[in-house]
Amino acid sequence: MSTLIIGLSLGMLLFLLASGLTLIFGMLGVINFAHGALYMLGAYIAFDIGRHTGSFVAGLIGATVLVALAGALIERLALRPLYDRPHFYQLILTFGVILVISEVVKVVWGLGYQESTMPPALAGTVDMFGSTIPVYRLFVIGFGALVSGGLFLLIEKSTFGMLVRAASSDGEMVRLLGLPVASVRMAVFALGSGLAGLAGAIAAPLFPIELGMATNTIIDCFIVVILGGLGNIRGAVAASLLIGLVRAIGYSYMPSWVDILTFSLLIATLLTRPQGLFFRATRSA
Amino acid sequence: MNASRFDLWLGLPLAAIALLLPFTGPSDFMLNLATLVMIWAVFAIGFDFVFGLLGMVSFGHASFLGLGGYALALATQMWGLPFCAGVSLAIVAGALCAWLFSFFALRVSGIFFALVTLALSQLLYILADSKLRAWTGGADGLPGVARPGLGGIDFFDSTLFYWYVLAVFALVMAAVVVLRRSPFGRVIAGIRQNETRAEQLGFDVHRYKQITFIVSGGISGLAGALLASLLMYVNPQMLHWTTSGDVIIMTLLGGAGTLWGPVIGVLAFEVLKEWLSGWTQYWYGILGLIFILATLFFPKGIVGELQERYGQWRDKAARRDGRIS
Repeated sequence: MSTLIIGLSLGMLLFLLASGLTLIFGMLGVINFAHGALYMLGAYIAFDIGRHTGSFVAGLIGATVLVALAGALIERLALRPLYDRPHFYQLILTFGVILVISEVVKVVWGLGYQESTMPPALAGTVDMFGSTIPVYRLFVIGFGALVSGGLFLLIEKSTFGMLVRAASSDGEMVRLLGLPVASVRMAVFALGSGLAGLAGAIAAPLFPIELGMATNTIIDCFIVVILGGLGNIRGAVAASLLIGLVRAIGYSYMPSWVDILTFSLLIATLLTRPQGLFFRATRSA
Repeated sequence: MNASRFDLWLGLPLAAIALLLPFTGPSDFMLNLATLVMIWAVFAIGFDFVFGLLGMVSFGHASFLGLGGYALALATQMWGLPFCAGVSLAIVAGALCAWLFSFFALRVSGIFFALVTLALSQLLYILADSKLRAWTGGADGLPGVARPGLGGIDFFDSTLFYWYVLAVFALVMAAVVVLRRSPFGRVIAGIRQNETRAEQLGFDVHRYKQITFIVSGGISGLAGALLASLLMYVNPQMLHWTTSGDVIIMTLLGGAGTLWGPVIGVLAFEVLKEWLSGWTQYWYGILGLIFILATLFFPKGIVGELQERYGQWRDKAARRDGRIS
């Protein structure tokens, strides 16, 4: 049972990350290598705010807002001039962004590990179904479900979501209709980055905060996003929960094979179903 | 535009510097840096076969480099083979790995090609780090990789090893020039310009891509063996995907698809790195910033921009002389 909870919480965390990545891809056609670096930045910011104010919630909000701002800046300054060029320029540029963000983190927080503490209200454990479960894990699951629900409403029901979906299926047409596609793109990049920052803030008490987060996490995100189908948010939910559970179950039974199995699954998916495991012909966004 | 004369004008001073460097009484540090630049240049040239000539972004070239390094280490240490056999094995290992990758990666194109090569090379990295520990030494790596032993010359001397690497580098450059000018190279350039057209003209595009990928892997494997020999050490970091990222940065900085671009890119990267790390420990971030700016404003890279200026200058000169109306 506790394995299931750990798997679900891991999956929810992955979803927060992957949803931003897949949203950005669907909208801008950009594979953002720096997504993991933004996640790391979120974790460090949340850690620092939490250390100074003692408030976990302030850390969550601060990390989300600041990382979203950083994302908007990256889109405006670095990506926007590149949309007309071949796609690999954007891919490679975001690799450069990783180097810069990692260095900023090194300058501000140094090279060592940082340990964030759990908020006291969520630090305990509860007994459920005959096993002891940390409250924080339950919080991650609940909060993740809440955010993903909100994201769906935003994308599927709101006017903004309609604009995003329209612009991702035919940006040129939407621009000709007089709608601010450039701003929508920036907003989507900021939203996706903000989700990465939020994920970082939530992950901060669970894992040690370190520089390796930038390059290791992005690979996990890629796995989820590809399994779910690039640009497909529903697919991302299913894929992140799947990977989260596989990870949790795998680590308790055959830890050394987990990565090898997930990568094999990834490669098999890329070859047989490049649109993802959960592809439906009509969906985009 | 006469690209080959441009290449000659650029290559001559580089060759002169490379040949004269050992006679200027350089420090061991300088010699090792120059050797490192040439080895990475071999890697970048190999990488540019796929990136510049074929126009495909591979995030898997770290695998070929790393496998080359491990092949040399294992061949000389575990099986007691001579250095030359080890290097040959490294080339074969890189080429074989590229051949294996090509079955998966060439089925997809564009961004998916980048992702598949990334996934395959990360799989290899994880295997080397965990499951193959008996062979690779895990995260600790394998120390004590051999240097060449030719007729009793002591290649542990930096100067002599420099000459050895220079000779290999010159050989690779010559091979690349021949390959680029051969009918094969022309077909590759044609495929990059317009894949459908090349296919309609009757070329087996898939086969050409596969061969290019294998050649690229072989050259990268050679670079890996030389790198392991220079550092006398291999570890899984050589296989990590950020190594593939580094070679992309260097190639793009110098100018993808040009003859000297990868070489100049590596030179610029390493010199900038040494210079920047002299006055700040945060050189990698500054390098990232320089790289971002270069991508935005000089997408053709140093050599690409120079080549364009040179072409414009020649056209103007020709027009002035009345050779072109």
